[in-house]
Amino acid sequence: MRHSTIPERRERPVDPMPKSPHPLEEGGGPRRPETGSPDKDSLMKRMRKVDPKQAERYRQRTGE
Amino acid sequence: MLNRIFGLETEYGLLIHEDRPDHSPTWFAHKIRDHLFHVQRRGVLDLHHRGHDEPPGNGGFLTNAGRIYLDMGHLEYASPECHSLTDVVASDRAGDLLLQRAIDELGFSDRVSLIKNNIDHETDATFGSHENFLVSRRFPFSRHGMAPLITFLVTRQIFTGSGRVGSASLQDAWIQMDRLLVPPSTFGVRHGKDLPFQISQRADYIVNDFFEWVQHNRAIVNTRDEPLADPNQYRRIHLLLGDSNMAEYATALKLGTTGLVLQLIEEGHAPQDLEIDEPVEALQEISQDQERRWSVQLQSRKTMSALDIQERFLDCALQHCKGQDEETDWVLAQWASVLQDLRGDYQKLIGRVDWASKLWLLECFRESEHLDWGDPMLKSLDLEYHNLNHTKGLYYGLLEEGRVPRLTADALIRIAMEEAPKNTRAYGRSALVKHLLSGWAPIDAGQPTNSGGLFPPYVINWSIFQVRGRPPFPMPDPFRTYLEEVRTHLESVIA
Repeated sequence: MRHSTIPERRERPVDPMPKSPHPLEEGGGPRRPETGSPDKDSLMKRMRKVDPKQAERYRQRTGE
Repeated sequence: MLNRIFGLETEYGLLIHEDRPDHSPTWFAHKIRDHLFHVQRRGVLDLHHRGHDEPPGNGGFLTNAGRIYLDMGHLEYASPECHSLTDVVASDRAGDLLLQRAIDELGFSDRVSLIKNNIDHETDATFGSHENFLVSRRFPFSRHGMAPLITFLVTRQIFTGSGRVGSASLQDAWIQMDRLLVPPSTFGVRHGKDLPFQISQRADYIVNDFFEWVQHNRAIVNTRDEPLADPNQYRRIHLLLGDSNMAEYATALKLGTTGLVLQLIEEGHAPQDLEIDEPVEALQEISQDQERRWSVQLQSRKTMSALDIQERFLDCALQHCKGQDEETDWVLAQWASVLQDLRGDYQKLIGRVDWASKLWLLECFRESEHLDWGDPMLKSLDLEYHNLNHTKGLYYGLLEEGRVPRLTADALIRIAMEEAPKNTRAYGRSALVKHLLSGWAPIDAGQPTNSGGLFPPYVINWSIFQVRGRPPFPMPDPFRTYLEEVRTHLESVIA
């Protein structure tokens, strides 16, 4: 630990929640998306199904 | 990662797909909460008053040690305490899935959609995504000490923003009412700029640099001193300026970069010459800049771009934090990658940065349908990006097409719906909740218990719990699991 200001912990962390097999590597974790010329058909299909009036209906209470 | 405890609190919107609905979003929120606790038995409802707006039965702790409750009429999920970005991403998604599954099981899927965003376009309402970071009590919690944090937070939106169509009422049109600044929409008046798109949902609603309240007068840094841990050791940095992220990558990068900047401040390594002249105005100007030049005026009278400012923070973090653990190195590498890509075509960020994904989808649709930015359909598509129904939501459409990098896996999210991280205080609390669920029949929190005494059978808070007949059990250190002590304590209750 490189923190100089955080006090030393009294208990070492035990087994963390299981992680994805290779969280930081190609194939199992974050990858740059393909941004060439994607097939937009399915996305356009989803978008055309959207109710044009739904934003008018979406009236929420202000929260925090 | 980072010797840090992370947590996220998310307020969800509910979209009702009916012209004349019989019920309000709050009615559906009650039904969903009741299904989670009474039918699915995901956790135990509070039996005590947690505050004036949290009566018994308003919400409760889950077996994963997070919470689901109603806040200002919104369903809200608070993740358990997490020690790694992997865990916090999985726990955050677990909250989404818990609520969406309840909607599905209730048969509400065609009537109502769960929207993980922070605004509505009609009334200027906003609701939050709050970030929590545990720091040492010795953290320099002063205007001077936190000046680098303000600069970082104002400029990080270039990769953390979720984007929106249009804008809220202008900040200078807000109306002073006693100590409150309230938006003109309170009185049915709108003064929004005619903006096509901006990169942040929350920027328009932040009107202070430092303030203690969480509703109205929202600040870049919330100053409420509520550590939910030993106050002699810890402070909780509570941030409410961020957007709810759909992309796992953006969620991790938001929390990871902010965690590293907090470390730089704790260790005295944060850049000190980047203080922004008017941070609240800069926050909104960056968000609304249609050219995406993102220029910022510093107190030194120098002008810098948000990208260059972020590069300075990244350089400091590379110098002082690199190599300390695997997640830190991932954050540093991805931070550099995103900043580099932001200097080029925004389409390189699709799948990683929510505003970029949304803008690309909207531009594709506009081009295909020959729409201008004033068309109301674009606001509806804006909402649909955040729809948590996987068969409808546009984010999930991108995911389905393989355009979104993952940081977790569906199997891990399913585990996180039921299990707490095993290396924080959440683990002990999870054991408590499971014990209560296994030993007792569901208790209707709205009814007085008839088992005698004024004290309810249990009281659970983040840093302490008490089971009737036993002394309070404090859990002041979020880095400890307390697992064995909790089990011993509960065995003595049974005995």
